[in-house]
Amino acid sequence: MRTVLKTAVRSVFRQKRRSLLLAGAIAFGMLMITLMNGFTEGMLTNVRDNLSHALGGHVFVSGQEITETGRVVSRIDFDDRLQTLLETNSAEIASITRRSQTFGTVVFGSRQSAQMLYGVDFQAEERLRTSVAVTAGSLEAVMEDDQAIALPDSLAQRLGVELGETVLIRLDTVTGQRNVGEFWVRAFIEDQAELGMSAAFGHRAYVNTLLNLPSDSYQSLNLFLHDLFAADKMADQFRDVLPLRPVGEDGDDQAAAFGFGPFGQQQAPEPWDGIRFTIATINDIMEPIEAVVLVLDRLSLGVFAVLLVIIVVGITNTFRMIVLERTKEIGTMRALGMQRPTVRRIFLAEAAFLGLFGGVVGLGLALGAMTVVSRLTVAEPGLQFFLAQGRFTFQLVPQVVLLHFAILTFVCLASAYWPARSAADLPPIKALGGHL
Amino acid sequence: MSIVELRDVHKVYQLGKTQVPAVRGVSLQIDVGDFVSITGPSGSGKSTILNMIGCIDTPTQGEVYIQGQCTSGLKDRQLTVLRHRTLGFIFQSFNLIPVLNVLENIEFPLLLGKPIMDSGAKKDWLEYLVEAVGLHEHIRHRPSELSGGQRQRVAIARALVTKPHIVLADEPTANLDSKTGQSIVELMHKMNEELNTTFIFSTHDPSIVSMAHHVIPLLDGQVVSQP
Ligand SMILES: Nc1ncnc2c1ncn2[C@@H]1O[C@H](COP(=O)(O)OP(=O)(O)O)[C@@H](O)[C@H]1O
Ligand SMILES: [Mg+2]
Repeated sequence: MRTVLKTAVRSVFRQKRRSLLLAGAIAFGMLMITLMNGFTEGMLTNVRDNLSHALGGHVFVSGQEITETGRVVSRIDFDDRLQTLLETNSAEIASITRRSQTFGTVVFGSRQSAQMLYGVDFQAEERLRTSVAVTAGSLEAVMEDDQAIALPDSLAQRLGVELGETVLIRLDTVTGQRNVGEFWVRAFIEDQAELGMSAAFGHRAYVNTLLNLPSDSYQSLNLFLHDLFAADKMADQFRDVLPLRPVGEDGDDQAAAFGFGPFGQQQAPEPWDGIRFTIATINDIMEPIEAVVLVLDRLSLGVFAVLLVIIVVGITNTFRMIVLERTKEIGTMRALGMQRPTVRRIFLAEAAFLGLFGGVVGLGLALGAMTVVSRLTVAEPGLQFFLAQGRFTFQLVPQVVLLHFAILTFVCLASAYWPARSAADLPPIKALGGHL
Repeated sequence: MSIVELRDVHKVYQLGKTQVPAVRGVSLQIDVGDFVSITGPSGSGKSTILNMIGCIDTPTQGEVYIQGQCTSGLKDRQLTVLRHRTLGFIFQSFNLIPVLNVLENIEFPLLLGKPIMDSGAKKDWLEYLVEAVGLHEHIRHRPSELSGGQRQRVAIARALVTKPHIVLADEPTANLDSKTGQSIVELMHKMNEELNTTFIFSTHDPSIVSMAHHVIPLLDGQVVSQP
């Protein structure tokens, strides 16, 4: 075995240029697939993080009731079952937000603009206080007054509003009446528009008053988990315990869970009594994005496959040539007492070595490229959704890397198999050219 | 008992549609420890006969016996084992493995098949061989760094490393100048005497023929009856 390996490894270095070319092709294949996979995995994680940040959680619970007039109203009051669920899962829950939300029209002087408004409990939402980037004023100032509000930068500019001034917000109550509230502008916050979210934050108690809800009710309960991959399991547990809202034909129940849907306007498909819950997770909204990533992965797999074909052709041809070049050596080794399978193994070992070497180099290059790229800061706003703090991140799944290694090595072995076999099957006298 | 015996051996090569009779009914016996030269002009069948003795080719008719064992009907695997255990080879153009150094080339046959000596004995044996062929200063060199004569010395050591009973050499001096060639055959003779290994070599160089104990003269694929 040692002889086989030694001869094989040294043979690789005989024709350095040729081996380098082959190893280069293999390395390139490994580089491509590793980069692509690392990129898509990293991107998925970033999108998931950014989305959960923008949506304020990993698991989303909303509750709907039907009023006497047949309207569906988003509203959760104190609920024993929900409370028990939250307590039993408290170890896995990093933070809880209870928010009310509405689309309103912000009016300042003669100007106005539609705006998403969250009613939040600033005391309870530490994560919000730390993650929102304040550009002017402060959240502490917002927390001081019930009627205070933090507005997105872009909105403030559109309306020409300054800190300390007052805006009006026109909105509909959950029961469908028009209402207007007066808010005091105490902070401007960085627009999260590139994450698809631009929101104003006011006090939940005050927003509830305007929505005609009790001050300690809320419309959506969002959970941040320690491990976001536990989201689906937890959601299932919630679904098992809580009474669920019948699934509508148009699927807007899910939108309602994220707070996207039309609020309080739709008719119930079939009426119910009391509260019905809708539970969604970050993964539900990730599905279309994951589908895109899957396409990307397939594409890179396709490129990988094409490279593999090139590698197959390259190795087969090269090894045919190698067998021709080394015919006399093969004859010599056979004469000296080397059995056929050993001859075959020498060539296969050479191919395997080439594959492993190329694979390691490709992986190394990929890691190097990832390190360099992940150091760059990208300012392009349109890309922020895919980045973490303005940087590309890469993630490698060790099993997948191993799998690619295995595929590469296998392909190298398979391509060298026939030439190796023909070398082993050469009759010694022919290989030697007719004489000792 | 003879260590090599050929009984009415014929070899016919098929060359397209024509049949080329290379060996036509050769019978011969070679004894243990002999130093035999097969001679004859080019095309007389020297190589063909050595190939058949060396078990890398088979007769069209007749039998080859090595140490009393008939080689006809043996499978490739068995023939390979026979070559490995019983035969050593010295080639016209040396045929060293280019990626291995001198010592590794000499050791190479020992790494094939089952080990035939323990590592201590092996070390002593290799040292003896390297010394015997006068290459102790070159053991780390690759074949490409050696002269023709040195390469053939490596080949002689390699041929002897498995302690074979028979060493075959087909025109071992063909690619050497006459002086170097002479010293190579002298070395072969020395090893023949020291180890009592049977050497069978072919040549058409009269000065080398004269060093052989016995001569088998060939002409047109037949042994010429000796005067
Ligand atoms: N593979 C072969 N195919 C056809 N003819 C061959 C082959 N090998 C040898 N011969 C012929 O057989 C005869 C003997 O060849 P060989 O044994 O090589 O003689 P020598 O070694 O004495 O020169 C020659 O006529 C040669 O042309
Ligand atoms: Mg010849």
